[in-house]
Parts: sequence; structure tokens; C-alpha cells
Amino acid sequence: MSDAQQPTDDGGPGDDDFEPIQVFPEAEEMDLRPGADNCYKCSTCDTNCPVAEVDDEFPGPKFQGPEQWRLKRQDDHDIDDSVMKCSNCMRCDSACPSEVPLSQMHNTARAEYVEENMSKLSREYWRNRMLANYRRLAPLGSMFPRTTNFMMGLSATQWLGEKLLGITGQREFPEFATETFREWWTARGGAQVENADKRIAYFHGCYANYNTPEVAKALVRVYEHFGYEIMVPNQHCSGTPMFANGMLEDARRSAETNVRELAWALEDGADIIASCSSCSMSLRQEYPELFDFEGTEEVAANTWDAVEYLRVHEDLEGELEGTSVGDKFDDFAYHAPCHARNQGLDGQTVEVLDAIDGITAHDVGDSCSGISGTYGWKKENYETSMKIGSEMFEHMEDADATSGLTECPTCSMQMEHGTGYEITHTLEVLEAALVGPAEADGQ
Amino acid sequence: MARDTEVLVLGGGSTGCGIARDLAMRGLEVTLVERGNLTDGTTGRMHGLLHSGGRYAVSDQASATECIEENEVLREIAGHCVEETGGLFVQRPEDSDDYFRQKLEGCRECGIPARVLSGSEAREVEPYLADDIKRAIEVPDGAVDPFRLCVANAIDAETYGARIETHAEVIDLLRDGDDIYGVEVRHDSGPGKRTHATSGTTEEITAEYVVNATGAWAGQIGAMADLEIAVRPSKGVMTIMNVRQVDTVINRCHPKGDADIIVPHETTAILGTTDEEVDDPDDYPEEQWEVDQMIDTLSELVPILKEARTIRSFWGVRPLYEPPGTGTQDPTDITRDFFLLDHADRDGVTGMSSIVGGKFTTYRMMAEQISDHVCEKLGVTATCATADEPLPGSENIATLEAGMDDFGLRSPVARRSRQRLGSRAREVLETDEPNPVICQCEGVTRAEIKDAIAQSGTDLNAVRIRTRASMGNCQGGFCCQPMANELHPEYDEKMVREALDELFQERWKGERHALWGEQLSQAMLNYALHATTMNRDHDPASATSTVDFAAFDDGRAERDRIDGIRGGR
Repeated sequence: MSDAQQPTDDGGPGDDDFEPIQVFPEAEEMDLRPGADNCYKCSTCDTNCPVAEVDDEFPGPKFQGPEQWRLKRQDDHDIDDSVMKCSNCMRCDSACPSEVPLSQMHNTARAEYVEENMSKLSREYWRNRMLANYRRLAPLGSMFPRTTNFMMGLSATQWLGEKLLGITGQREFPEFATETFREWWTARGGAQVENADKRIAYFHGCYANYNTPEVAKALVRVYEHFGYEIMVPNQHCSGTPMFANGMLEDARRSAETNVRELAWALEDGADIIASCSSCSMSLRQEYPELFDFEGTEEVAANTWDAVEYLRVHEDLEGELEGTSVGDKFDDFAYHAPCHARNQGLDGQTVEVLDAIDGITAHDVGDSCSGISGTYGWKKENYETSMKIGSEMFEHMEDADATSGLTECPTCSMQMEHGTGYEITHTLEVLEAALVGPAEADGQ
Repeated sequence: MARDTEVLVLGGGSTGCGIARDLAMRGLEVTLVERGNLTDGTTGRMHGLLHSGGRYAVSDQASATECIEENEVLREIAGHCVEETGGLFVQRPEDSDDYFRQKLEGCRECGIPARVLSGSEAREVEPYLADDIKRAIEVPDGAVDPFRLCVANAIDAETYGARIETHAEVIDLLRDGDDIYGVEVRHDSGPGKRTHATSGTTEEITAEYVVNATGAWAGQIGAMADLEIAVRPSKGVMTIMNVRQVDTVINRCHPKGDADIIVPHETTAILGTTDEEVDDPDDYPEEQWEVDQMIDTLSELVPILKEARTIRSFWGVRPLYEPPGTGTQDPTDITRDFFLLDHADRDGVTGMSSIVGGKFTTYRMMAEQISDHVCEKLGVTATCATADEPLPGSENIATLEAGMDDFGLRSPVARRSRQRLGSRAREVLETDEPNPVICQCEGVTRAEIKDAIAQSGTDLNAVRIRTRASMGNCQGGFCCQPMANELHPEYDEKMVREALDELFQERWKGERHALWGEQLSQAMLNYALHATTMNRDHDPASATSTVDFAAFDDGRAERDRIDGIRGGR
């Protein structure tokens, strides 16, 4: 072949001069304009947005998503700063009758805003980066949990947090557990059931590891009760707080680890189970929308919520029939987290608890709790967050119960903050009903 | 005999407005009449391509050279109407290598900067290009907003003293023996700014010289004075996509053919086009298969188009002309050059020349040559300045963009508004009044709508072409009514209603060619909104008989009746 015939395209092997183009575009460069094709501007998303409802300054998801994207040219990067007011509850996704990829648009626009428009030296950037990367700070805190809890509980610390970092002083920091879930798991000797036919890989997330290991332990006992072999793969943050803060590169690094580890578990015949509704949301929806590592789609397609999985694969309600929880729990005011709602899981807890004798979960309605992860922790959002939550607080107080129930760690913080109730995770109730408190405490 | 004006220009398209500006700047007294809105004819029905000349680089190098020269002029004088997108001539595997080479050489011979990109380089520029695109030639094609450009010419002509009359249809040419000395026009509601629900008048306008710049309609004007002008109107379809699938002009690199160009235009992309001769520029079939075929063909270049949403389609009529006796069969082979027909030389009738043929990109140069001709006829020696004087809105564009004031608007709205208004942005957008977004699809605020109304009276289509309001994905479903609302209280309810109806009808005219998929959902929602919330499917206020408002009570009678039943139990 003469030089003249050498095609200019793509270069053959040994074509050293060829400068390879990036195969996968960075997420901030994703062109989501075609997603605006699905929008016929009915505004259902706006009427379902909890932030727009209480904040007149927030233009709502229709503007944030399809309108803003449609107005963009490839090289325009001046995303409106109102995108930082979006709490990433993702209700707009479920509300949309026309499959506009709203949260994907918000996540991508937010990342672009942070990348192009937010000063990397600003307090806001570092505060958000810190909140988003809670997973990196938590191991430090849980190294000396008692000291950390003491320090974080001091009003001086809270005052400093607000003044220096813009983290609201109104909330109390969640306590670190004296033993993390993973420490417990190792000490316990790992899985106590072996079963090649029924295997799950548990994605516990950060909060159940560092702060509420009782939830993770409950999952282990409930699943072992049903004869499952449990794997606990290495894992990083699911990425939810990073998406919400526009830290898409941080999220990408975490997601890459998670997809790799979870894809291996899939090869071992496991399904992936999460106990936190935002973690499962992230793996199922946001990963495939924002990333394309090998295995992303498979991981997404095989990830389940812990209760959902048992309802599908086991006769959970049948097993619960006739059980009781004794004195351990009473009736609950139940809040379905937005991210559970988005997965179509908002009805399941009430139904499942119905099978247990002596307790009832009273659904407190479909309002958003308002905290949305790190959102309600920011000083500038605290008031909005509490306004959004006020409907839930009222309904909790009106419900015939004095404690709360939910599956989302931050909703749980908000529920406790607004009512003073003690908040339980659904898996803890299932554990009490199926395994019994005595046996549980014995481990 | 004293005449009303020195020069009378017929036709408010790019050519007519260009001539009016040119002559007014040379100090002549000019009147321009247009039967509809500015750009209503062919100018407002083009794909918005600012030619680099690449398209003509093989077949017609003279035109190509003119294009690149004018392309560079317009970037300077009309920066706020031009987007420097760049363009690609892309080659598919089945397209000829030989032609690709000819195109590249042709561009270089005509002084058009041209560079070859590999397939993957081209896809890096435009990620949605088909995987099998072999390679591409990059040229300085651009996108131009014909509405803004034409309006800016008209506004500037007015600044130099010209009279611009829209909605003034020529109903007769005034001819005295072998001399044409003016026209008779029918004002829709005029003279002056249009006001709906106001009865029209007729007016004779006399002039020392008449320029017939009516393009595809030149033959009809000529016939009024028994002059035969054999324009060969040729229709072409264009389809507007909801979003920009590409940010660069995409041309197919082949000798000729239908459906071979995609032009990013503001928030949209426009697909073009076809070429078919028609008898009457006002009456020709608009057929769905023309749209379908175009989308199919262009999907070979950008596959995502196949699934993408179209928001409307429209047809334009080219004012093609060739000298008698040329006898070209295929309209695609008729020259795109323009012809100045001096009826004194041609028909022995003095006082008028007609312009036919030509293309949008070179409108300024055509206007210059015609204005030279008119000046020669009138014995005026002033020279043309249009190549150097920026249009209103395009003065000091570079300094402006550095300013980046957001006028309290959300950033994408501010950006779009600045791009549309250019150097007029501050004057229009700086306001102490609340300035809400009226058209959400295009990001048009009340201040910009009010500015356009001040220019054009109750004509909301004139507001539309100035601002792009109602040109987005809802096609006016959500914003026509708020736009009309801005006419009140200056104009009364009846005028506002008529103005609203006219705009909404115009939007429907193009949207009805896009009624499948998402745009069908949009149309249904628009219908439901207008029918149920505004009662526009059966509005008693639009009936001829007066409404008996007393017949509507506050529900008290019914409540009393129910209370009576309850009380009786």
C-alpha cells in the first residue's frame, strides 16, 4: 500500500503519530441535549419538587433539566448557580410522565457547574467536598469513636463548624459506633452460612458500617435466617453525596471500585443487596446514567433493595406471619424515603410489617423529609430543609406512634431532629421478628 | 412632478432591506413596502446557513468566491446575527474520493480555508456523526439568523430616514405610458405600525425609481405593468429539530442531491432540503413524504436524527431565474447567481428594475450592486458603506462579550438574550421592572418582548422573529398567550385576541407537519391547555352575540337549592 492510499482514519498498528482520542467522554462533557426531546413542558416535575414548593427562588427541575440543556451550545459552560439548590431527591424522575432523564441532567449540570463555575478555593467547595467525601473522614472518626463523639457533641465544635465551614450548628453530628460493621464481620469470622445456590453480596454503604452497624448486622441475621451465604466485598462510597455536590470525579473513582468489586461478586453467583435506599438507587440508576465502566449495566441490573429481594425470592410475608417483636418495638410512624419511592418501593414496608403481630407501620405520607443527604447539613439550606420536612414532622406527630421507621440514614436523622423520636431501620424489625432479640443480642 | 420618495423598494426580504439600508446610508430618500412581515417570503424560510462558499466550490467558483468574501464581511458587520459554527463536508464510504479531492482543491482555489479531518477527528468535533463517516473537510461555514439580520437592516435604514411599511401589499404598479412611477398598496391596518382589528386603507406611493426586490413574486409584480419576468420558483422543505444534534454545519460531500445539510440554528438544528419547481409561490403542495425522506437521508450522516424530535417543518421558495433561452431542466442546475433586469433596456419601460436569483449569504453585495445601478440612474454619486458599518446590535461585539452582565437573569437566559440582542442588550434588558421569562423554551424575557412590541405594534409574528419567543419546543403553546398579554393595556382586548389568534395559527401551520412522537404529545397538551384553561375551543367571548354575564352566578342558587333539600329532610 502506498502512502497515498493510506487511509487518514484511525491509523493502523504502529502508527505512532496518531493521537488517540478519549474513548469515553468525561461526564461533564456529556451531551444530554437530546434528552430534552422528551419534555413537553407539562411541569409535573415542578409540582412534585419539594424544594420548589418551599423556595420561590428555585426555578424547579424543568428549568434545571430540559430547558437549561436545550439552551446550551456545546461550548457553553455557564450553568446557572440555582442547580446547587437542587437536593437531588430525584422525585422529578418518578414524576415525569415522559421519561426525561432529569436527575441525570441535574447531576451532569451540577458537576459542570462545580468544575467550571465554582472556585476551588472557596469555603463552599471545600465544605461540599468534605461532606461528599464523608467516607474518607469516617475511618478517622471511628478510630477513636468515643473521643470523636465527645468532640463533635461539643457546642464549640458545632459553632466552629458553622462559622468555618458553613455546616449548620442546628444539627447534632451522628455518632460513630464503637465497633464498625466490618470489624464485627471480621471478628465474627465472616459468613456463617455457605450456600452456592443462594448467595448475596452485601453493599452496606458507609453509614451502616461506621454509624449504625446494628442495621448491617440485622441484614446479616435476616439473610442467614433464609439460608443465604453473604459476601461483604470491598467497597467505597456509593457516590450519592458526591453526585449531590457535583463532585463527579470523586464519584467516578468510587464507582469504579464498586463496579469492579461487585462485578466480581456477580461472577461468583451473588446478587447485590443494599440496605440503604440511596445506595441501591445510586447503583441501579445513577451509575448507568453517568458511567460506563465494564460491568456497570450488569451491576445495575442485579442490585436489589434488601426487603424487596426477600419479597421476590422468599415468602417473606408468609415467614413473618404469626411472629411478633415482643416489647422491643411498638407502632411506627413510617416515612418512605424519596430514593425508595423512586425505585417503586414506597409501599412495601407497611405491607411487610402488617404480617407481624402487634405492630403497625403508619405511613406518614408522600412528602420528602427535606434533608436529602448532605443538603440539609449546609447552613444555607437548613431552613429550606426544615420547611420541606415540616409536613412529615406534623404527620409523624399525628400518627398513632411514638417512634419512627425508615430505610434511609439521612431521612432518619431528619426524622429524629424534627420530632425527637427514636428511628429504626426496617431490617431491625425483621430481625426482631424472625431471629428474635435474644439470639441477636447473643452474638 | 414631485414624488413621494426618491426610491421605492418592493419586498421586505434580505435583498429589499439590504437595498433600503444601502441607499438610505447614501443619503437617498427610500420607502420600502412589504406585503407581510419582514422576511415573510423566502428570507424567513431558509435554513440559516452562512455559506463559506464550500458548497459551490466545484460547480460554481464565482459564487463560491463571493460567498467567502461576504461571509467574512457579515461576521464583522452582523456579529450578533452570526454564529461561527464552522462546517464540515463529510464523506460517506459510498461517496466519491474524486469528488472529495475536487471539493478540497475547489475550496483552496476560491480562498476558502479548508482542512481535512479523519473520520475520528470529525467525530470528536461532532460526536453524533455516523461511525462510518470516512473523513471530512472543515470550512468556515456559519449559522445566521435571517430574521435578526433582515430586521437590523430595516431598523438601520429607518435610522437613516427610510420609511418601512410592512403589511402593505402592492396591488398595482403605476405606469404612465412607458414609465413606471410608483405603486398602489393596500395597508392591512396602516400606514405605520400594524394594529389588529383596525380597517385597512389604500395608498398611492410615487417614486423616481422603483426596485422590484420581491424574489419569487417578481413575476407577479411585473405582470401588473405587463412585464414578463420568468422567475422559476423552486420549493424546498426544511425541518426543525427540537435540539441541536450538531454544533457544526454538516454538509454531505457529494456533487448534488436532496437532503444533504444540517445547520445548527440557535437552540435547534435545521435539516435541508429539496429542490422542486412550482408554478405558484403562494400555492404548492406541502407533503409529508418530503419530510420523511429528508430525515431518512440525513440519518445516514447523523443517525440520532432518526429518533429525534422534530418541532415543525416549513417550505421555502427559491427565486430562481435564468435568462430566456437557457432552458435548464433540473432546477438544481439553475444558477444561484442573481440578475438585475433593467426594464428600460429589456422592455423599453423606464423607472423600474427587478432583481431575481441570488442567495442570502451575498445579499449585501447584491444590494450594493443594485444600489450602484439606482444611483447611476438617479445621477447620485454617493458610494456604498455597508461593508464597513456594523448593523445595530453588532457594534463593539467583542467588548460586549467580555462584559458578561447577567441583568439579574439566570445564566442561560442571560446568555441567550445577550446573543440575540448584541450591543442592544443593556438598553433592552436593564430595567427596574420585574423581568420574568415569558418564553421558557427560548429564554425570552418580558423586557425583550416589550422592546419588540415597541418596534412592531400588535404584530406578534413580528415580535416572534425579533425575539424567537414561541419558536421553541412548545411552539407557542405556553407563551403565545403571555406574549399577547404584553400588548395590553396599550391595545384593547379585541386587538389582543386577534393578535394572539394570528400568532397561534402561524405556529400551528408548521407544527402540523411534525405530529408524531413527542411533538404530537406537545400538540395535545397545547390543545388541552388552550381549550380547557382558556376556553379557546368554545369561547363565548369570541362569539358574535354578546355574552349574558348575568346568567353566570356565583353558585349561590345551587347551594340554596341543596341547602333547601337538606333542610327539608
